[in-house]
Amino acid sequence: MTNQSQPQKFIVPIGPQHPALKEPGHFEFGVDGEIVTSATIRLGFVHRGIEKATEDRTWVQNLYLLERICGICSNIHGTVYAIGVEKLAGVEIPPRAKYIRTIVAELERVHSHLLWLGVAAHEGGFDTLFMYSWRDRETVMDLLEGLSGNRVNYSTNLIGGVKFDINEKQADEIRRGLDFLEERTHYYMKVVTTDETFLGRTRDIGTMTREQAELLGAVGPTARASGVPRDVRSESPYLAYNEHPIQLQVHDGGDLLARFIVRLNELFDTYRLIRELLDHMPAGDLTVRVPRRIPEGEVLIRGEAPRGELVYYLKSSGSDKPDRIKVRTPSLCNWGTISHVAVGHKLADMPMLLVGIDPCFSCNDRLVTVNNTQNSQDLTWDALRRYGIEYYK
Amino acid sequence: MDTTTALETAQSLLQPWAQTVTQPEPHRSDFVVAPADLLAAVQALMDARWGYLGAITGVDLPAPAPAEGQPPAESHLAALYQFFNGAAVATLRVTVTHAQPVLPSICDIIPSATIYERELIEMFGFDIENTPVTDHLLLPDDWPQNVYPLRKSFTGFGGAESA
Amino acid sequence: MNNIFPLIALLIFPGGLFLMASGLVYEWVDRKLIARYQNRVGPRWFQPLADVVKLLAKEEIIPTGVSRGLFVALPVIGMAGALTAALYVPIAGFAPSFSFAGDLVVTLYLLSMMTLCLGLAGANTTDRFSLIGATRTLTQLFSYEAPFLLALLGPAIVAGTWNIAEINNFAGQNIWLVVTQLMGFLVALVGLLGKLEMPPFDAPEAETEIVSGALTEYSGRGLALFRLGKDVELVVGLTLVASFYLGGIANPLEFLLKTLGLLIVMAGMQSLFARLRIDQTVGLWWRIGALLALVQLLVLIVVRVLR
Repeated sequence: MTNQSQPQKFIVPIGPQHPALKEPGHFEFGVDGEIVTSATIRLGFVHRGIEKATEDRTWVQNLYLLERICGICSNIHGTVYAIGVEKLAGVEIPPRAKYIRTIVAELERVHSHLLWLGVAAHEGGFDTLFMYSWRDRETVMDLLEGLSGNRVNYSTNLIGGVKFDINEKQADEIRRGLDFLEERTHYYMKVVTTDETFLGRTRDIGTMTREQAELLGAVGPTARASGVPRDVRSESPYLAYNEHPIQLQVHDGGDLLARFIVRLNELFDTYRLIRELLDHMPAGDLTVRVPRRIPEGEVLIRGEAPRGELVYYLKSSGSDKPDRIKVRTPSLCNWGTISHVAVGHKLADMPMLLVGIDPCFSCNDRLVTVNNTQNSQDLTWDALRRYGIEYYK
Repeated sequence: MDTTTALETAQSLLQPWAQTVTQPEPHRSDFVVAPADLLAAVQALMDARWGYLGAITGVDLPAPAPAEGQPPAESHLAALYQFFNGAAVATLRVTVTHAQPVLPSICDIIPSATIYERELIEMFGFDIENTPVTDHLLLPDDWPQNVYPLRKSFTGFGGAESA
Repeated sequence: MNNIFPLIALLIFPGGLFLMASGLVYEWVDRKLIARYQNRVGPRWFQPLADVVKLLAKEEIIPTGVSRGLFVALPVIGMAGALTAALYVPIAGFAPSFSFAGDLVVTLYLLSMMTLCLGLAGANTTDRFSLIGATRTLTQLFSYEAPFLLALLGPAIVAGTWNIAEINNFAGQNIWLVVTQLMGFLVALVGLLGKLEMPPFDAPEAETEIVSGALTEYSGRGLALFRLGKDVELVVGLTLVASFYLGGIANPLEFLLKTLGLLIVMAGMQSLFARLRIDQTVGLWWRIGALLALVQLLVLIVVRVLR
């Protein structure tokens, strides 16, 4: 093989632009033939400086900014932030608003898990499952659009409540949609656990023991698939999870298959939870008034995003702008597990391993970037055109 | 273990090192720890299997503008080591000066802390001793030396960003 | 006139233009079928042609560090191999243009040219994805080639000849060989999937790992030729399997029905399975594929000797 003639390591770069990655990240896998011998990760290609930017904006403006940290789990960022600000301000939102927040959070989990199922199947070269699960995901996207008017950034939250109500007609639509999705999820569960070719790509691949998961700080479904019973919704219930607890889904396998099973089981539980919430919605207002200036203080808020534990640290100095907002996204915790688990596996398993933690690059790269004006050239349109003509001559 | 007992356990574990203990929320305790005692405190929590490291948050605490005729006060950086155990949160609060922002690395005790420590180095200019990797994690490779974006003194490189 | 006939056979029918056109049509059918199986709309009928035309119009970028001659010649050689192979099989139900006693073996070698060219093309560049793709292409070649060959030998032994045209006639006059040699048929069909690097045997060009494998560095004309070559190989392979196992091909209608029927089955297999890792591919072929083909062959020989 080619690499044996070379004394130095044969490195396969994946990213920043690569068909396996839907978002930019950079991985370098040292390989010996097909076996991966080392793995390094470089992030930061989609920095937007959100943490710094929040310090320049008011508490209300930040709600919209933070919702755009992630395109897939946009809602949970807004929700956790809003809970934090409400806590700082010392207001309690009406119970109906809590229920609506919970329902949207759980619908978002449905959409995110189905999206993940498709992407993971695609990485394993199982495009039929990819197409099917994404087709069915449209159902939940439509439900969310029916509620909020948006498919992606639902913008459910206000500081002090929610923007929209769920009426009986919408509730019935959600119930119908969930019935359909539940039936489909049963089918996917069957496919994932019985299809021999697919099992060949998931069984005993990327196995992470419970000790490793705890040591490496894994969170969310990734940790739960290694037998770590860790879910903020049951550990430290917020919103309506107190009245309607979740059933924690844990699996001891630790491999990719276990991650599939945990996420699909979570879907079943989420369907049950949404139905329960819809049946027990309290009546009442949707919002309360929150002062523009938030009293001085610090809070630490945790929420369970589809990918795992999301942590917000808010520090207020008593003005209408925050002093410091720190976001700790679940993907950041799970990265560490990859470089650890990757070594010794086949190169062909890498995409599935990467996707196994359901990574979200935008979430990680939220921190800071500023145009480095010393290096960048500002070109006028004419100059750019001339440059282009010159370049291609 | 419910939240109250968890916090009480943390308090007794951290007794030797905590300078002050406050409880801003029922489920959250803050322990102010000297940089020299940080490793011992983290080790105590981990030995007792008290939760897991949730995040390390850096906070810049610039000194207020000095009053007329007074020498300027010293600016500080704080690192908050946040540990979660069920609903309970224990925060180890370590404060260092801008002039000498030196902290020990806790990666020997908690390997996954490397990502947070790299973030502290890049964003706040902490000097973390013995941390295994110091490459840029998030900032571009050509980012200028000694510019720390999350410090309050940083307001961009001028131009488009000032708006 | 004697000189013109071979030229027509080579350039227009059944080789050359006709073969390329039918290759594009079969590619479309394949893509459309998979799309429908996967609940997608799928491409329009001229999409494969449009792809090729577009590629031909594009600049061909020759990367640094490659042997330029090889880089340009390999797609042409691969294509030529596939086109030449077509001259020995009963394309569209007409008797093969050329025929001699041992043409089955020659045809199989010509069909492998394409894969060899792909492997060489990948190894020729310095790109890391190409190198791994080339390794995988050649590894896969070694795994499916022997069982595929054995599977096609079955009908040859029954017919008692190594001549494709005669096997075709024999198959047409007897009961469909798929009934008596089911194992051989399966191995041949799956072997064809492996040969064409179609899912689930597309590890050599697994886009989520190594972009597009050996062809990563190819663009423009070279890429178009490689793709056309694969389409031609698809038609030739389908014709070969259909004429051997599905009761021979005697007229254009039979050709269409039988090859398209096979394609429907193949498209189904492509959408049913997850991609196999290269080690799984090799394991599958040598543990199951080769074994099945050998057992089949043994049964045939025993039956023949007993008679």
